[in-house]
Amino acid sequence: MTDSQHQTQQVPLLRVEELTVRLRGEAGIVHAVSDVSFQLQRGQTLGIVGESGSGKSVMARALMGLLPRRATHLMEGSVSLAVDGRVLELLKLSEREFRTLRGPRLAMVFQDPMTALNPVLTLGVQIAEPLQLHLGLNKAQAMARALELLTQVGIPDPEGRLRQYPHQLSGGMRQRVVIAIALACDPQVLLADEPTTALDVTVQRQVLDLLLALQRERQMGMVLITHDLGVVANRADHIAVMYAGRIVEYAPTSRLFSSMRHPYTEALFKSVPRLSDPSHTRLHAIPGRPPQLIDPAPGCAFAPRCPNAQQRCRRETPALAQIGDQHLHACFYPIGSKEVGA
Amino acid sequence: MSETSNPQLRARDDIVLKVEHLVVTFDVGRELVQAVSDVSFDIARGETLGLVGESGCGKSTVGRAIMQLPPPKGGKVIFKGQDITQLEGEALRKTRTALQMIFQDPISSLNPRRRVKDIIAEGLQIWERPNQRARVEEVMEAVGLDPETAADRRPHQFSGGQCQRICIARSLALDPDVLICDEPVSALDVSVQAQILNLLEDMKARYQLTMVFVAHNLAVVKHISDRVAVMYLGKLCEIGSVDAVYQHPSHPYTQALLASIPELETSQEDAIPLLQGDIPSPMNPPSGCRFRTRCPKAQAICAQQEPAMQASPSGIGDHFVACHFPG
Ligand SMILES: Nc1ncnc2c1ncn2[C@@H]1O[C@H](COP(=O)(O)OP(=O)(O)OP(=O)(O)O)[C@@H](O)[C@H]1O
Ligand SMILES: Nc1ncnc2c1ncn2[C@@H]1O[C@H](COP(=O)(O)OP(=O)(O)O)[C@@H](O)[C@H]1O
Ligand code: SF4
Ligand code: SF4
Ligand SMILES: [Mg+2]
Ligand SMILES: [Mg+2]
Repeated sequence: MTDSQHQTQQVPLLRVEELTVRLRGEAGIVHAVSDVSFQLQRGQTLGIVGESGSGKSVMARALMGLLPRRATHLMEGSVSLAVDGRVLELLKLSEREFRTLRGPRLAMVFQDPMTALNPVLTLGVQIAEPLQLHLGLNKAQAMARALELLTQVGIPDPEGRLRQYPHQLSGGMRQRVVIAIALACDPQVLLADEPTTALDVTVQRQVLDLLLALQRERQMGMVLITHDLGVVANRADHIAVMYAGRIVEYAPTSRLFSSMRHPYTEALFKSVPRLSDPSHTRLHAIPGRPPQLIDPAPGCAFAPRCPNAQQRCRRETPALAQIGDQHLHACFYPIGSKEVGA
Repeated sequence: MSETSNPQLRARDDIVLKVEHLVVTFDVGRELVQAVSDVSFDIARGETLGLVGESGCGKSTVGRAIMQLPPPKGGKVIFKGQDITQLEGEALRKTRTALQMIFQDPISSLNPRRRVKDIIAEGLQIWERPNQRARVEEVMEAVGLDPETAADRRPHQFSGGQCQRICIARSLALDPDVLICDEPVSALDVSVQAQILNLLEDMKARYQLTMVFVAHNLAVVKHISDRVAVMYLGKLCEIGSVDAVYQHPSHPYTQALLASIPELETSQEDAIPLLQGDIPSPMNPPSGCRFRTRCPKAQAICAQQEPAMQASPSGIGDHFVACHFPG
């Protein structure tokens, strides 16, 4: 291991500790993110998997400082980012300070490329703007760099595209442009929130492969958020499974797939239709649906749907505990434990 | 455009629905988009036909054209031996009750102001069917909605998955022969998606339905279908039994689609070449084979001559492919 690698092992690029976010919703206070902790090293990809409403996007927006203050009822915990040998505590930053980080330090790719682009500006202007703002390039330099970026994300005829508007591109191309913008200032951390959910399967794979290649090339830390285990299976170094605002299992990817312990992880895994199953194979559905995050009941949030649930699960909330090398779960009666009755 | 021959149409006497040379066009500004170009297939009683392809290839348009919403520009839709594109007014409306459709976005396809029982009973009221209340309760129970607690509530009080159950109940009330499902689980979470897919299988058995299942997720389509039709830019590329199409995909496009699916098993990525580029605009489709601009096997002839449907080299019965170099 080289010295620099050794150092990054010591100080993680991004460290999230007990992040809790509560939002003011129409029907009450939404416990969107509860006690979420993880670390991200340089050059690594963390996959975050969970059903819709499990708090993935709120968490990502919290890390980016993008949650509207008025809607935020509570934000607790710590998010620290290693920047040039210093450690910045992001939750304490003002909006102005945050703005200087977005782009060169932290960048985000959203699910819907159309909402991330300005419909009335040409792509060239949209890519060049942050370069002028953050890197102090002049207009010609910024345009030259924009051209380079479009080429890197695999857009054919990049010169012509610089003068086009977002609606003139297909969904897959738009997402490539969004990625180009996110990468323009060479961020250290890239948060990709369902970057391919809105795209066709064929294009999905292209865009995911592109993201990974760029991540490796630039040694960024990447958080890849998805509801589809298949998306992260071959791509993430670690996976965190979220349910009702909490991480319920965390492990290196291969370990998660070979020895998952949390009943929700297993249920999620089994409910995915497989190409290898014969036609008309009955699917393992998870009964019921995810809980509302307003006034959460005491106990484990998965208890109403969990095949292993027992009395204790309805009284106490299981904490995320280490069960092996880098493998954590939050469950009283995990898969394979003796106490689980037949 | 000259009509192609249709070897993929089967000579069976249990064909419930047959689509022949279907053409659907849309006026877009001054131009005409051919969203569906000469598509033909048939479905036998009790079969589920999966319809797959990338966004914009015309899957939903085929589904709606079968329903005569709106009637297609060309071709026939033969339901139980009758070409329903020729029907009008009352006769058409009556036939439509036997063909029902459910959609991707269940919440927006339900009237937010009406109660669940009234939504489900709507068709029964229009056609003055007897025993409406009992029928509503019957289908609600069938789809897993408790009539006691759910009947008087309104759609916004239900989750997406529950709303899809309501839509399914509504579609079943008039006891249809054919159910057309347009991406019915695409907007749902995997866990709920599995519930709805299982439910559709149960409903098919319970009410002897014949189904068209439109989706872009090939694993989902495989789970629910007996036969699969693959579309690209308004054309049919390949059709055959699930086993034929998934085990022996013969069209380069089908092969590419199958290769692009994210799989759960953490196996290393396979060497199948991925599709490059995007789907061309349907305003101005490529000459010859429409897939040629992205096809790794394309040759000169592919630009000149449109490939006709022919038996697949898989040798499996009723497996057809439209490609000059299949296999
Ligand atoms: N009302 C309309 N007016 C104009 N063009 C239309 C209309 N409806 C569909 N189209 C065009 O027809 C083609 C086929 O559309 P269709 O909705 O059938 O595709 P699809 O295969 O169902 O796609 P998706 O997977 O995105 O649902 C597309 O090019 C689409 O833009
Ligand atoms: N701006 C907001 N105000 C109030 N509640 C919100 C807001 N954004 C999200 N939520 C709620 O927070 C919870 C988590 O949402 P989200 O993070 O978007 O889920 P995911 O990304 O995992 O699908 C949901 O219950 C959602 O309705
Ligand atoms: S704590 Fe109990 S309810 Fe929660 S996942 Fe574990 S066994 Fe199931
Ligand atoms: S006809 Fe030619 S271009 Fe079309 S799929 Fe076959 S090989 Fe490819
Ligand atoms: Mg989200
Ligand atoms: Mg559609």
